[in-house]
Amino acid sequence: MTLTPQRHSGADAGRTPEVLAPSPAPAARSRRVGAQPWVMAAAVAMSVAGAALTLNGVLRGWAWYLPVLTTVFVVALAMAVLRSLRAQPFVVALGGFASLVFILTFTFFRRDSIAGFIPSEDTMAQLGRYLRRASETVLAESSPVAPNAGIVLVTCAVLGLVVILVDALAVPLALPATSGLGLLAILVVPAMVKPQSVGLWGFAAAAAGYLMMLACSQWFAPDNRTTADTARNPGQFRRAALTGGMALVITLLLPLAVPGFDQGTFPQGSRLNPWGSATGLNPMISLGNSLRSPSGDGRITYASSASRPQYLRSVTVDRFDGESWSPDDREASRRVGVGRMDVGYEILADEQVRQVTAINTGRFTSPYLPVPYAPDAVNGLDGRWSWDPATLSIKGVDTNSRNQQYVVQSTAPRLTSELLAESSAPVRGISEEFIRPPNNVPDIVRSTTDTVTEGSRTAYAKAMAIQNYLRSVEFTYSLQSPVQGGYDGNGLSVLADFLTQKSGYCIHFASAMAVMARLEGIPSRIAVGYAPGRSTGATVSVPGQGALPEYEVDSRDAHAWPELYFQGLGWVAFEPTPSRGVVPDYASQAATPGGASTNENNDDLIPSNAATPGATPGATPVPLPGLDSSSGAQNAQRLPLYGAAGILLLALLAASPRMVRAGLRSRRLRGSPSAGGNPAAAAWAELRDLATDYGLAPGVSETPRHFSGRLRDSGALGGPDGADDAGTRAVASLTADFERQQYGRPAGSPESAAMGGQPAAAGASVASSADRIVRVQASLRRHSRLVQRLRAEWLPPSVMNRWGLIASAPFRAVSRAAAKLGQAAARSWRTVRDGLRRLRKG
Amino acid sequence: MDSHRRTTVSEAPPEGQSFPGGAGIVGNQLNGLKPPAMEAEAFHNASERILSAINTVIDGKAEAAKLALTVLLAQGHLLLEDVPGVGKTLLAKTLARTIDCSVSRIQFTPDLLPSDVTGVSIYNQASRLFEFRPGAVFANIVIGDEINRASAKTQSALLECMEEHQVTVDGDSYKLDEPFMVVATQNPIEMEGTYPLPEAQRDRFMARISMGYPDKDSEIEMLETHQATSPLTRVTAVVTSADVAAMIATVQRVYVSQAVKEYTVSIGRATRESAMLRLGASPRSMLQLLRAAKATAALEGRDFVLPDDVVSVAESVLAHRIILDRKAASTGETPHSVVRSILAKLPVPQEMSTPSRGGGQRSGPDLRHTR
Repeated sequence: MTLTPQRHSGADAGRTPEVLAPSPAPAARSRRVGAQPWVMAAAVAMSVAGAALTLNGVLRGWAWYLPVLTTVFVVALAMAVLRSLRAQPFVVALGGFASLVFILTFTFFRRDSIAGFIPSEDTMAQLGRYLRRASETVLAESSPVAPNAGIVLVTCAVLGLVVILVDALAVPLALPATSGLGLLAILVVPAMVKPQSVGLWGFAAAAAGYLMMLACSQWFAPDNRTTADTARNPGQFRRAALTGGMALVITLLLPLAVPGFDQGTFPQGSRLNPWGSATGLNPMISLGNSLRSPSGDGRITYASSASRPQYLRSVTVDRFDGESWSPDDREASRRVGVGRMDVGYEILADEQVRQVTAINTGRFTSPYLPVPYAPDAVNGLDGRWSWDPATLSIKGVDTNSRNQQYVVQSTAPRLTSELLAESSAPVRGISEEFIRPPNNVPDIVRSTTDTVTEGSRTAYAKAMAIQNYLRSVEFTYSLQSPVQGGYDGNGLSVLADFLTQKSGYCIHFASAMAVMARLEGIPSRIAVGYAPGRSTGATVSVPGQGALPEYEVDSRDAHAWPELYFQGLGWVAFEPTPSRGVVPDYASQAATPGGASTNENNDDLIPSNAATPGATPGATPVPLPGLDSSSGAQNAQRLPLYGAAGILLLALLAASPRMVRAGLRSRRLRGSPSAGGNPAAAAWAELRDLATDYGLAPGVSETPRHFSGRLRDSGALGGPDGADDAGTRAVASLTADFERQQYGRPAGSPESAAMGGQPAAAGASVASSADRIVRVQASLRRHSRLVQRLRAEWLPPSVMNRWGLIASAPFRAVSRAAAKLGQAAARSWRTVRDGLRRLRKG
Repeated sequence: MDSHRRTTVSEAPPEGQSFPGGAGIVGNQLNGLKPPAMEAEAFHNASERILSAINTVIDGKAEAAKLALTVLLAQGHLLLEDVPGVGKTLLAKTLARTIDCSVSRIQFTPDLLPSDVTGVSIYNQASRLFEFRPGAVFANIVIGDEINRASAKTQSALLECMEEHQVTVDGDSYKLDEPFMVVATQNPIEMEGTYPLPEAQRDRFMARISMGYPDKDSEIEMLETHQATSPLTRVTAVVTSADVAAMIATVQRVYVSQAVKEYTVSIGRATRESAMLRLGASPRSMLQLLRAAKATAALEGRDFVLPDDVVSVAESVLAHRIILDRKAASTGETPHSVVRSILAKLPVPQEMSTPSRGGGQRSGPDLRHTR
């Protein structure tokens, strides 16, 4: 007896190597061997690598793909090796992580690591640099971004993690269908960022890999519904073909019904953005998407005391070097607090116009605040905002433009063409970066500029010449042709394409004018924001201003225009884009001599000035909106409240399978009438579901006794050495009770006591069904692995399968109908064919 | 000539010699009143005694022995089909020996006449009356050896007795004793000059068993025990025929729930609808399947039938009655594999197993009226 503990540990030690064995297990064990892990790994790697193809438009070129490919395949290979050695699932995942770290170190930090692949302290320092670079790229550049080492490193790491995730979902968690989520996560990125969405090849490769994964998963997560077939049954193939065909048809038909699908094989996320107007990686690139959006999102309303509707400016772009342009935030020189702002240059105009504009941004979400130029003060904002003295762009420090209501006071000199024409003083007092002409200007830009401005002497004359050239009939406004011509975006090469094709939209016109102006020595920058928009017909009462007419703009009004600097007058907006916006008076008067050549077909876009009756430009300062502080506090309180509600909702969602399962269990064990009012049957149903949760689902064609025997022999209740007698006995007696109840003589019948078998029932009644179920559950929990236990408790297959069944009911009905239709078609075809044959013979 | 053929009725225990006396005609003491059912304990003991007696003679064939007893208790007939020399006849004889009842054996040959089986009326000079001399079929257990060697006429004479449990000669019907069981053996190879049982007649047998070769240990043991004497000689009757009749009555009282009836019927329907079969199972076979299941349940010590009981006998009961489609046969399917695959796909009725399903709610009350 004293030997028992030793014997026990000996037995354990004898058992452990079998489970953990890192070497091939004895041949006696007929568990899966051979090619399966390898094929599965190939499927996972192929699907992830295929999905990564779609990142081509997000990252420029293909140079980044080789590191991605090596990473994905090395991680998949490592996991396949571990799995073929029968490592524990947890060890496999750990091995995947380790191999990911090694291959990333090997690829990116070979020189800063130990032995070329083991991360060291230097690696960490280098990693920090790379990550900073990647985050800068994400913030600053627009897609497609140049594949620098930082961004490629992040891409490789994320894809490696996706491989591990997909593999974990498909194999140890036995949720192969769900593993598609990992692939979806990759596909969503190009769908949101690329204007032409996911490409066909990437989508096809990802789908093919996914299907292969589903096919392989049969080995790891066999499905009772399909394994009952004999091997010779051809049903499997037919079913697969039918499913594939249905999916194809749905993929082809669904886009017709869903808005946002008008090209490609995947919804264009940039158009379906449910969070209002997208900021994207760069306002410059999201502009094109906003303009192409079929529905106007990000509606902003504003009421202004100005006599004309206003341009609302968010941000400026002033560096024209490099592959793609983006706003320079000048974080270093930004100042926090927008209550008082200063243009920073001297204005010599005689008359200045002060305006008050009340703006409501609604669902428009951007780090930059749209305001009319040039703002003096902004009041009523939530959160902290900063402004850039050089450009007066206002940016949130810890907040964004969503749901902001604020009042802007702005001042601008009253400009006339005479005034501009007179401004010939040399430029002083502004930063060099607005003046410096860009490097590497394509020849066509330079030659075009020379041709256009030939004969113009003053800066104003040159500017007008450029604007008139761009507004001439030679140029057409088109949102699509840059996309089709492959020069959507911005940059000097894009500009060259634009001047050749002479077709594009505001961003191209504005950047052309800005670059050409700089080449002529006029300081310039591109303003990004909104064209004036439409009158809503309503009026808004602004404190201290009375009722002001209200205008609205949405994403379709997104606009870019050049601002040119004139000494003594400041930054002056021009409008080179035909059919968009409003040409300012000072910019159109001088155009009258050549008026015949301009393309002024923008009548529909000019808001009716009749809607501005009571606009009184005045110098009265606008008082702060009275509710400012309290509403801000309210908002501040509401935000965490929403957050908490969201988290609660998420938690509720995550816990709902568990809650449903627990509810079902308690209802059954209480013996409530909804469970049939029959304790034995209810307990049996619960036992079946319990077994399903722990991966021993009863088959439809399995008899209760057979199922019970399988459950007891499976080791789920403890193996032969560590047997859990209580659990096993409970299962046996629950089975006996259920059989007696289900198939036995009804109680109360005179013959019920005729024969044996009663002692079992008597013994069973010692413990109630509920107690026995609890015992079985405890035993199952004790003898299952962690992953399995978590799954049984949080994502119980018995509940999930039932939900899946409910969710798939419509599809099954459709497939049944399709099968019937197919049979009918085949029958009628046979009839027709036979008739024809008979006819021919006759 | 008559006496020559009578020699084919051989090896019968003492009771067998009482046939010429004509006692079989009135051997109806078991038919008039239903014998009382046995207590569970007694039933169990009796069946254990029979099985262990058989197992002392035939090594390693407990399954076949149990199935043979099942058929006896279910009042069916048994067809033993296998290659020569695996103990078909031995099994039949041992089963007959263990029960204290009349046994006769008919060695079927091509020249065997129907009257040899059923009996014949002979003119008695003394009484000046035609007197019925019962044939070999007048026994509790009739062993028909190599049944496919007799002519179709003779076969059908026996088959009538099997179905009706009576013999009709010259317009007079004679009831056969209960229990009545025919154990026929048949040799599937060497079919030259034989008359294989047509489908319709195979349907009369409740179950067909293939003995199969014994495993290595059993075969070695068999070589030892059978060396000197046949172990059959040591077998004595362990139960009386009255016991058997009581056991049969017990089996008849085994309860069958609606769910099991539905399951049985659905098996039959599935064989008829299967694309792999040219001929499915008949309704009679369903009846026999259920009877065999009842006997299995009783042997397990239960007074109600489980789906497991139906499954356990389904292959033996159904496989010899169904005919494969030619296409299925060419792909290597056998009747057994088809029955197995049908059982593997057929849902077992388990009400309440899935409360979300609409049909799952009906239960108990529906079963009340069944029996």
